[in-house]
Amino acid sequence: MSWIARLRGMLKRDRLDHDLDDELRSHVEMRAADNLAAGMSPEQANYEAQKRFGNTALLKEDTREVDVIAWLDETARDFLHALRMLRRSPGFTVVAVLTLALGIGANTAIFSVINSVLLRPLPYHDPDKLVMVWESNSQHANLHNTVSPPNFLDWQSRNTVFSSMSFIFDERDNLTGNGDPEEVVVQDISTNFFSLLGINPLLGPGFTPENGQPGHNNVVILSYGLWKGRFAGDPAIVGKSVLLNGHPQTVVGVAPRDFNWFIKDGSHTGAKPQMWSPFVFPQAFHDHKQIGRFMTVAARLQSGVTTSLAQTQMSAIAARLEQEDPDFDGHWGVNVVSLRDQISGDLRPALLILFGAVAFVLLIACANVSSLLLARAASREREMAIRTAIGASRWRIARQLLMESLLLALIGGGIGVALAVWGTNALLAASPKNLLDLRYVSMDLRVLTFTVAATLLAGLLFGFLPSYISAHSRISETLKEGGRGSSSASRRSFGRNAFVVAQLGLALVLLCGSGLLIRSFVRLIGVDPGFDTGRMLTFKIALPGSKYSADQLCITFFQQLLARISAVPGVRSASMESFPPLTGLGAATGVHLLSQPSLALSDLPVANVRVVGPDYFGTMSIPLRAGRLFNAQELAQEKHVTIINQAFADKYLRGVNPLGQKAVIYMKSDAEAENQPSEVIGVVGDVRQIGLDTAPEPTVYWPHAELVMSAMTILVRTSNDPLALLSTIRNQLQQLDPELPMAAVVTMDQLLADSLSRSRFTMLLLGIFAVVALVLAAVGIYGLIAYSVTQRTQELGIRIALGAQRRDVLRLVLAQGTRLTLLGVAIGVLAALALSRLLGTLLFGVSATDPLTFAGVAGLLAVVALLACFIPARRATRVDPMVALRNE
Amino acid sequence: MLKPKNDLLQGTLALLVLKTLARGPMHGYGMTLHIQLISKDVLRVEEGSLYPALHRMEQDGWVSAAWGISENNRRARYYHLTAKGRKQLAEEEKNWERLTQAVAHVLQFA
Repeated sequence: MSWIARLRGMLKRDRLDHDLDDELRSHVEMRAADNLAAGMSPEQANYEAQKRFGNTALLKEDTREVDVIAWLDETARDFLHALRMLRRSPGFTVVAVLTLALGIGANTAIFSVINSVLLRPLPYHDPDKLVMVWESNSQHANLHNTVSPPNFLDWQSRNTVFSSMSFIFDERDNLTGNGDPEEVVVQDISTNFFSLLGINPLLGPGFTPENGQPGHNNVVILSYGLWKGRFAGDPAIVGKSVLLNGHPQTVVGVAPRDFNWFIKDGSHTGAKPQMWSPFVFPQAFHDHKQIGRFMTVAARLQSGVTTSLAQTQMSAIAARLEQEDPDFDGHWGVNVVSLRDQISGDLRPALLILFGAVAFVLLIACANVSSLLLARAASREREMAIRTAIGASRWRIARQLLMESLLLALIGGGIGVALAVWGTNALLAASPKNLLDLRYVSMDLRVLTFTVAATLLAGLLFGFLPSYISAHSRISETLKEGGRGSSSASRRSFGRNAFVVAQLGLALVLLCGSGLLIRSFVRLIGVDPGFDTGRMLTFKIALPGSKYSADQLCITFFQQLLARISAVPGVRSASMESFPPLTGLGAATGVHLLSQPSLALSDLPVANVRVVGPDYFGTMSIPLRAGRLFNAQELAQEKHVTIINQAFADKYLRGVNPLGQKAVIYMKSDAEAENQPSEVIGVVGDVRQIGLDTAPEPTVYWPHAELVMSAMTILVRTSNDPLALLSTIRNQLQQLDPELPMAAVVTMDQLLADSLSRSRFTMLLLGIFAVVALVLAAVGIYGLIAYSVTQRTQELGIRIALGAQRRDVLRLVLAQGTRLTLLGVAIGVLAALALSRLLGTLLFGVSATDPLTFAGVAGLLAVVALLACFIPARRATRVDPMVALRNE
Repeated sequence: MLKPKNDLLQGTLALLVLKTLARGPMHGYGMTLHIQLISKDVLRVEEGSLYPALHRMEQDGWVSAAWGISENNRRARYYHLTAKGRKQLAEEEKNWERLTQAVAHVLQFA
């Protein structure tokens, strides 16, 4: 085909049109002249010539359709026509556009989150090659266990699958000088960490390999935030010195603004880093293997190596290490996880569920608009019939109607994007801390492409059926019947009924999902955490080793601090704990009960170890189940006594009196001889350490004097609002040591709320979508019934005139709604039964097919749908027979 | 596009038009008369098919058109074959012969 000729045609469109008119006219005239010559009358001659020619308009349209220009021109004309039609019925247009905007907006908002969490490349060089390498123990559930330094060294020297490996472990250090003392999160790393990620510092040279040598590691890189905040963005910061735990460190770099490395698993601080410092392994790490597991490991795959290949080789290396040192590495394997899975792992199920939910909302919106279009098509039937009669082809009419749908979709999509921008911000504002990283969620090309695709698809989806039916209506019937009760009308009403049933079904699936999440959440908040979270202030104090070098200094400091805080008016009691509940993982170790056979360290029962201050159990309201609590002497000196929790007694001392049992708790050293056995003096109630959804773990408690720790969380039980006492308590601390910062200040209630935030967030969002779905479905069935009442006004008028009671009319109309509702509910229940399994890990204490939930939401939907039917049904009973009949 | 049921095969119409124009420039009406006459009233070209076909052939560069004056002094649009059109005509004639021969073979055989 000669496209050039067609394109040229575009430029002389008018002339062509004119030519064509002239040409056809001359043809008719010549034929008429011949007819005349053959002896016809002038009128006859003209009529015959015209008739032979048929429909000139159609012919012209056919002839012109050959052009690209013609096509574009038709489209433009369809577009303008569609615009006029939409403007002519503003009510319909507003409802349809808003419905679509809601659906498309919700999809765009959720997709933009999915895009940033699951799809967009991570902000590192060649991020698909980055993996996390964990240890994992076949006897414990944790697949992402931190790594022992000697094992890291062995992995590094033996593997051929990684081009480089880095270790990272974080801690809180005190930053002094340049202003108030401040606790900062420092990641201790190997010097190749930044080059492994492919990140160059914004300022300064960064770490060099020499910084990994002993004596050369007194250097730090600052985060952008710390540099901008504490150091006021000092452009000459590089080369200056800062005091970290009292030791001077030279600044060799500032990290780029967006740089961030936070892996929740294995993080000791649970917070994002503000500073990086190279860590040099002491000789002991190279010598033997009995070093605890406390590091996270990141690695970059060699080119051409997949994660599973790396896993295979690392498992083989782990198996050899297990043989070489069964005492330490027994049952320990390696787990290689791609960085993407590591970061998005927790969020993926919830996000995919939400994406499914918004897709449902969009489908319901489409069904609604489709149904509206069908109703409108009925009133336009005569228009279409006349257009067909004068020669418009089916395709022409279908195209016209599709154009109207697409136009609706485009306007809806445009408003939807605006809604999404607003909605995404609302989403982020409502989302729990640490769940979504604000900066990374934004619109980009991919999101817009998605939205445009969703919009066009929606337009075609809801436009297809109405335009198909209209295009296939039979002209003669329509014209004969005056636009009422034609065959396309019955097809349309079938279509509308189907849409309403589909809407109800989809809405029921969403309602079931959100009902199950609500039930889970109610179950979850009904779980007893094992202690009283009300009116309790918590904050962390970390004593710098430079000043508090001896154990006794630490003991004395904390004793004095707790005494001062307890004396503050409004404080009921105060204590402390090494790793309080709901703040993440804490220390755990193997425990050897002397009444049980001796095992290798790695085979011993494992228990959490918690170091507590005086009156800890009273302050927390943890009940004593057996035995006694620590006495004053045990709290002041090493007396080798311990209190266990119920879970420990149930799991490891079943059927035995736990009191008086002796246990070696491998906390101070890995050698049994260096760990004096502790005697169990009491059993206390269980505490949900990790979160309400995680079962209590076996735990042993030691007094602070037994294992002196320099970093403790202070717990203050108050009579009223705990935060009101904050400044008084801070004063007490500063009187004791003005250099010490108060870190992680938060109430226990807040910690509890934070631990529930993810469940609450998912529940809330799905709930919102379910309500939107419910409303749309109700509007859908309302519209259908209202329309059918209008259509049946005459019939109802006759019935009333013939003596039908209002009740009969009501029943007649409601029966139609009831049939549709029951069908929709039945289909929805079946679909929900099939789909609710997908909620899987998001549910807590509720089965995915919980009959109570299903029955409840089915009932709710049925009631709402019938109420929606009731409004038009009541209107039907008020039909005035005289008016109805006069309209005939 | 609606098609009259007794329309000629699309390819046949092009062949007939090209062949007609091989005799010299002609307007649309003339072509319908000519084809009807030569085929002894067997073939009747529908106006509804002729003009779209002419338009398409013009765009494909087989024919070109210009306004002229007809035998009885009317303004009419005259079509004439281009070089490309001649080549196309040869091609279509060959195809047609092949087709009719094939049909003839089948008829004789059966």
